[in-house]
Amino acid sequence: MIQHIDLDGVPTLLAPTTGPTLAGLTFRVGRADETLARGGVTHLIEHLALHHLGMADYHFNGMTGATVTTFHTEGSPDDVAAFLTGVCDALSDLPLDRLEMEKEILRTEDANRTRSVTEPLALWRYGARSYGMLSYPEWGLSMLGRDEVRAWARRYFTKGNVVLWIGGAGVPPGLRLRLPDGDRQSLPEPTSALPTTPAYFAGSTRAVAVESLIRRRTAGGVFAGVLERVLFRTLRQEGGLSYTVAAVYEPRDSTSASVVALVDALPEKQDAALGGFVDVLAAMRVGRIEQSDLDAVVAKSRDVLDHPDVRTGRLPAYAFNMLIDFENISIERLRDELAATTVEDVHDVAREAAESALLMVPEGHDARWAGFSQAPVRSEHAVTGTRYPSRESAEVGLVVGPDGASLVAPDGLVTVRFDDCAALLAWPDGGRVMIGNDAISLRVEPTLYAVDPSALSTIDQRVPVGQHVAMPARDPDEIPRPVPPPPVRAGGPSRLETFTFAVVGIAALLFVCLGGLMTMGVSADAEARGGEWAVVATVWFIAAILILPTVLLYRRRAAARGQR
Amino acid sequence: MLPAMSAPLPADASPPNFDPAAAYPEVDAVRRALRGGDWPAVQQIFAGQGSDGRDVLTRAAGEVREAEGFLRSMAQRDPTDTLAGTLWASWLVEAGWKIRTGYRAQHVSREQFAAFHDHLRRAEQVLIDVTAREPGTAEAWTLRMMTARGLELGQAEARRRYDQLSRHVPHHLPAQAQLLQQLCPKWSGTFEKMHSFARDCMLAAPEGAPNAMLVAQGHLEHWLDLPAGDDERYLRDPPVWQEIQEAAQRSVRHPAFRRVPGWVWAENTFAVAFSLAGDHTSAAASFAAIGHLASEFPWAYLDDPAAAFTRYRDKALAKGTAK
Repeated sequence: MIQHIDLDGVPTLLAPTTGPTLAGLTFRVGRADETLARGGVTHLIEHLALHHLGMADYHFNGMTGATVTTFHTEGSPDDVAAFLTGVCDALSDLPLDRLEMEKEILRTEDANRTRSVTEPLALWRYGARSYGMLSYPEWGLSMLGRDEVRAWARRYFTKGNVVLWIGGAGVPPGLRLRLPDGDRQSLPEPTSALPTTPAYFAGSTRAVAVESLIRRRTAGGVFAGVLERVLFRTLRQEGGLSYTVAAVYEPRDSTSASVVALVDALPEKQDAALGGFVDVLAAMRVGRIEQSDLDAVVAKSRDVLDHPDVRTGRLPAYAFNMLIDFENISIERLRDELAATTVEDVHDVAREAAESALLMVPEGHDARWAGFSQAPVRSEHAVTGTRYPSRESAEVGLVVGPDGASLVAPDGLVTVRFDDCAALLAWPDGGRVMIGNDAISLRVEPTLYAVDPSALSTIDQRVPVGQHVAMPARDPDEIPRPVPPPPVRAGGPSRLETFTFAVVGIAALLFVCLGGLMTMGVSADAEARGGEWAVVATVWFIAAILILPTVLLYRRRAAARGQR
Repeated sequence: MLPAMSAPLPADASPPNFDPAAAYPEVDAVRRALRGGDWPAVQQIFAGQGSDGRDVLTRAAGEVREAEGFLRSMAQRDPTDTLAGTLWASWLVEAGWKIRTGYRAQHVSREQFAAFHDHLRRAEQVLIDVTAREPGTAEAWTLRMMTARGLELGQAEARRRYDQLSRHVPHHLPAQAQLLQQLCPKWSGTFEKMHSFARDCMLAAPEGAPNAMLVAQGHLEHWLDLPAGDDERYLRDPPVWQEIQEAAQRSVRHPAFRRVPGWVWAENTFAVAFSLAGDHTSAAASFAAIGHLASEFPWAYLDDPAAAFTRYRDKALAKGTAK
């Protein structure tokens, strides 16, 4: 049984364990609560709260997720008490003198982090807000001042917004949770960047991935398990197309969960991995689901539930459910629900997953052929304002007006409105990137567009200050340089060529006339001898020599005219 | 199996008939049923067929222009009816390729390509469901190889589709012929891979099976790609000629060869290959077998197919009887 107790006004979960004591504090705050321009504040607070423990010799960690932030540890009851008490004390009185130092550490952590292949999925589904935040770097760090950090901690890291969970014999002696009072914070409202589903976008890797939103239920987890088995069998064992195959079910809130499935692909087999993936999803959607796969997944889940420490293992998930007001169900009921799951239940989930699917295809591929619409990569409307031509192509222009900015090119347009701008990244060299709430971004590079200072100041003034992000100076190599447009008259005649054409042409004409006159003259002369005919022949010969280059030059000029 | 017509007399001099119904009467029956909107009749005709027969009938059904509305409504009425889905997809594929025409890409307009791709995508989505429900539907996989090629989904994907089909129906000649096309340089393949695939199919097939015709088909594709003059020399080259001979011996000239659906196509392929190679004696045996029964391919590779058929048949039968 999991016991519910109260410790210093904090709801606390207690479960027995066979190993050392483990415990954690789970707060209802994460990346999805942040804004793009101030993103990173939760992670920064997590680091500040752990700073004083830098040299502790027991195992501990902090984790900032989408909607919860957890501090957890494992060790003797004394170590656990010291850790959790210390974290709470640090959270209620953050060591803000460490602010800039921790920002640097976070930047280093980010630079060395291995990015998950599925990371881009979030922004394509949610845009540059709410859960979409998980696709983005923590750009807000440089903008966060002490007051902002303190206010964030005061709002989210409170007694009302946390659950303590302990796997062990009891509450470790000496544990005190000195947190400020506060209210439970509701989950962020999910945003959307997808006008329609199923949709697809081309990723920048060779992987194929899909993310689906389904109603939260036990059969959802079973569906993910079955999907993983079928993908593994079809793409790896039978097809030899993929090595990594995974599918994960994860509750998002009290009503929704996501299922993310992923396969990698050999470079020359990406098209087949995509095709095989689409066919596996289709087979499950139409209900071709094997009872044996379902049985195997249920048996595996039951094994997990039969583990003696299952209750301890479930504590973090249990705490998450409490924080989002989702009624936790007992292990026994979970076991019953698993046993009762039928092929029809899994088929039901598969249909729902297919309808809401967001598919990531390998770079250079598409999925329109399989009935997925392309997720928006362009905007529908342009703003009105002053047009600044591209330095690279006369057909491309940047428009800056009172409502926003647009990039207008023959193959489409991109618009970010000032009142719908999630972040404005600004470099000291004048470069700007505007990111819309729909995750569509617009680069304003003074090196690429003939923008005047007033255009840049319009952008800077119209985007609310809270959305500004000052970026560090760029390496000169990172500042884009324009590629000059090709000369319009490439291949056209030069002046020298025109002159030569005229001289040679006139000379040719003269010799043709001379040759004609002489031929007539000599023909009329009945006494003409061989010597006279030889002179006529020479004149014609010279005329012929001059005609040839004239014709060649004429053709070249005509060809050049045709090109334009 | 479709009952084949009895062998025509060797001296059959009537003009060639390119209609598949001439050899397979069920083709006409399917056409009548579709035109009459008689779905139970269509189902009944297909029910009696093997995978080769169903392939012939599926393609024929796709060519019944006026069946568009009927096939669409049958497919939409019951998405689990895989026969309705397959025939509707066949109609879309056929209509799509008609819009594209057989010309090289540079002679096809942007609008033609857009409509072509649109038809193939609609067909593909129907076929994804059909093969998901019944992965052993060979004729649906054959169509999916055509959509994959037209939509340029890639060599590995075409191969995957073929492998999926082979898992259920090995040695399916119509699908092998589709993959052979995909392996041609005109569809981003190489002659080396194409010839080697044709040979593999021949060696893997049972004795007397028609699959060896792919070797001849492969050489005709190669011939088609070469400039005039070189092309004839290519087919007359002894090693090439020998491979075509071997292929004929393993299929149409093999005692175990049976007139199963596809036999007319196999004999016509050898008739064309031997005629172009100047081996009218060998061509005579194929012409004797087919009489006036012509197949659209590979005659479509020649100018005025009907005239070419008559000309080469005359030559072959003259040689054949002179012997």
